[in-house]
Amino acid sequence: MKVKILQWHAVASWTWDAQDETCGICRMAFDGCCPDCKFPGDDCPLVWGACNHSFHLHCILKWVNSQNSQASQQQPQCPMCRREWQFKA
Amino acid sequence: MDEDYEDGHRFHIDDQKNKRNLEIGEMDVDGSNRETIFLKNNYLVKNIGAVVRDLRSLGFTSMTEDAYASAIFSLLKAKVHNLAGDDYRALVLGSIKDWIQAVPLQFLHALLAYLGDSFDCDSMSSGLKSPLASRPSCYPGIDFPSEGLVRWQLRLEYFAYETLQDLRIGKLFEIIVDYPDSYPAIQDLKQCLEYTGQHSKLVDSFISSLRYRLLTAGASTYDILHQYVSTIKALRIIDPTGVFLEAVGEPIRDYLRGRKDTIKCIVTMLTDGPGGNPSGLGNAGDSLLEELNRDSENQESTDYDDDINSDDKQAWINAERWEPDPVEADPSKGSRNRRKIDVLGMMVNIIGSKDQLVNEYRVMLAEKLLNKFDYDIDSEIRTLELLKIHLGESSIQKCEIMLNDLIDSKRTNANIKASLPQPSLSGSKLGGTDVSLDILDATIISSNFWPTIQAESLNIPASVDQLLCDYAKRFHEIKTPRKLLWKKNLGTVKLELQFEDRNMQFTVTPVHAAIIMQFQEQTSWTSKNLAAATGIPVDTLNRRINFWISKGILAGSAGSDSDDHVFTIVDDMNTNGLIHESSEGLLAADEEGERSVASVEEQLRKEMTVYEKFIIGMLTNFGSMALDRIHNTLKMFCVAEPSYDKSLQQLQSFLTGLITEEKLEMRDGLYFLKK
Repeated sequence: MKVKILQWHAVASWTWDAQDETCGICRMAFDGCCPDCKFPGDDCPLVWGACNHSFHLHCILKWVNSQNSQASQQQPQCPMCRREWQFKA
Repeated sequence: MDEDYEDGHRFHIDDQKNKRNLEIGEMDVDGSNRETIFLKNNYLVKNIGAVVRDLRSLGFTSMTEDAYASAIFSLLKAKVHNLAGDDYRALVLGSIKDWIQAVPLQFLHALLAYLGDSFDCDSMSSGLKSPLASRPSCYPGIDFPSEGLVRWQLRLEYFAYETLQDLRIGKLFEIIVDYPDSYPAIQDLKQCLEYTGQHSKLVDSFISSLRYRLLTAGASTYDILHQYVSTIKALRIIDPTGVFLEAVGEPIRDYLRGRKDTIKCIVTMLTDGPGGNPSGLGNAGDSLLEELNRDSENQESTDYDDDINSDDKQAWINAERWEPDPVEADPSKGSRNRRKIDVLGMMVNIIGSKDQLVNEYRVMLAEKLLNKFDYDIDSEIRTLELLKIHLGESSIQKCEIMLNDLIDSKRTNANIKASLPQPSLSGSKLGGTDVSLDILDATIISSNFWPTIQAESLNIPASVDQLLCDYAKRFHEIKTPRKLLWKKNLGTVKLELQFEDRNMQFTVTPVHAAIIMQFQEQTSWTSKNLAAATGIPVDTLNRRINFWISKGILAGSAGSDSDDHVFTIVDDMNTNGLIHESSEGLLAADEEGERSVASVEEQLRKEMTVYEKFIIGMLTNFGSMALDRIHNTLKMFCVAEPSYDKSLQQLQSFLTGLITEEKLEMRDGLYFLKK
């Protein structure tokens, strides 16, 4: 007997593979989305900093913007380790 | 009454006899030849008139009236039963009224005229007109209705209303079963009740027939729900304020709450339409939800047609429309929430909360989506949009994400295939089967938003595994840095078994596919070896392999060890029938375990186990506690993650579970630790 596969419809789940469960800023799951978004995945991506900490893009942008608007004129810092925040290339 | 008269009143016997003749003569009167027959009967009327007058002069005025009144009433009653009968598809009230005009009133008119009453009344009432007489009505062949005649008419009509009402109330259960075909009967009943005001009669009689005929163990939950929906619709016509519906609906709701499959049935009814209804009671067409939606659209268009959205105006209109609640209204229940009768709302009311409905829907949706071959989700999107209207956007957010995952998967799937044209084709010629990426489709889910999915270990065939690897790699390249995690036990596989003399096609789960593919190289396996090769636990394997045995592809026999079976491929068609029969029973058992998504109860159980320790601790300290006390204590103390957000019913079912596990016991409504 031979088995011929005509079609195989598989199921998978995706993950950001961020080595952590939740975003340090909004405390929502990385594989979920930030509080402002409705749909996870492409609509609410993750970003990594030079310090290897990751956040929802929208969360860290909010943070960076709020730091920039403060009078101190400092470079924004990573909210987790206080190193200067730079997006990982 | 007859006896009263018969002793000694010869006249009366004549009177009755005459009237009988008259009745028979007039039974089949219709409008056209009314006049001629009437003339024929003039003689009879005169006879009766003479008798009545004689009796009156003897001082038996009220008795004589009672006599002919009761004869007329019994005639009328027979007429109503005859006209209304068991046919609910026609309005009968109108024809009954016509008949009252045509037959008994004509007779009474003639009789009263003969007795000279009508003249008396007319002259009397010219000065003092009764409000009853001012009622506009037309009397064929009678120019000036006397007050006596009008009284008679009202009396007869009231009697007709009451008779018809009693008749319809007695059959209300059947009428509602037939709804919407029985709409005319409902209309009639509504008019009757407006006249007689005996709504409470309806409620009592309907509730008792519900208890007797519907709310029994023999009725399927679908049937009960259908009857409930029809009841809501029918009673909404009779009583727009919903007061009686409240009273009637309560026993049904109470009963349904005690059934385990209620939520599931409601969700199926809402989403699947008649297809999901095994008893075939639903009318052809679309789901209940579609119908509700049409309903609400209709309602809205009539409600707000001149709405310029000025609140003042709307308030004024509402104020003008205000009507007091019927006397029977239960004052303890606010009148606000009963204003709007929303069928879906009343269904949700059975379940207890919207969330439970949504949860159940989500599990069913997940099951449906995961077993799809293509990415066609149009009908699901439509259902979801309708649910959104009724339940609000936020509560079904997760379901929306699930559907979105399917749409995304379709796009990603196409992307991956387009970007990986040929190399995999040559690379995956393993194990003698040619498999290319063309045969592989994937549904990629955002697992956080799906119900808990049951993961099972499974070693899928190397050729397919290779494909999955390629696919995942490609996904990682396209969607860096995202990765795919395969749920290898989920999905569907279409495969063809090629025997020497025949080919057979099957659509199966990956587990079944993995099992059967092992038989390509080796025609006979022991269950232990097969379990090791496929990576499935032996007992699961034994359950799953029944599918192939039932199809007559494999045959099982006891091996050397008592719990080790040997499975062999069946190449011979002739033995199929025999094997098929013997394994029917096993198949049924197998299908129950086939769900890929954890059911709501299982999920709840998992969530509740966190609180088990709290509950045990509480009971150790306090000795015994009532259900609501446990509930309140949990609410008070479990505020940190995960905070306690379960309903009283959910807690109760969990505690019942603990009782069956013999961890707790319950006496007199109090829970104890089992010693």
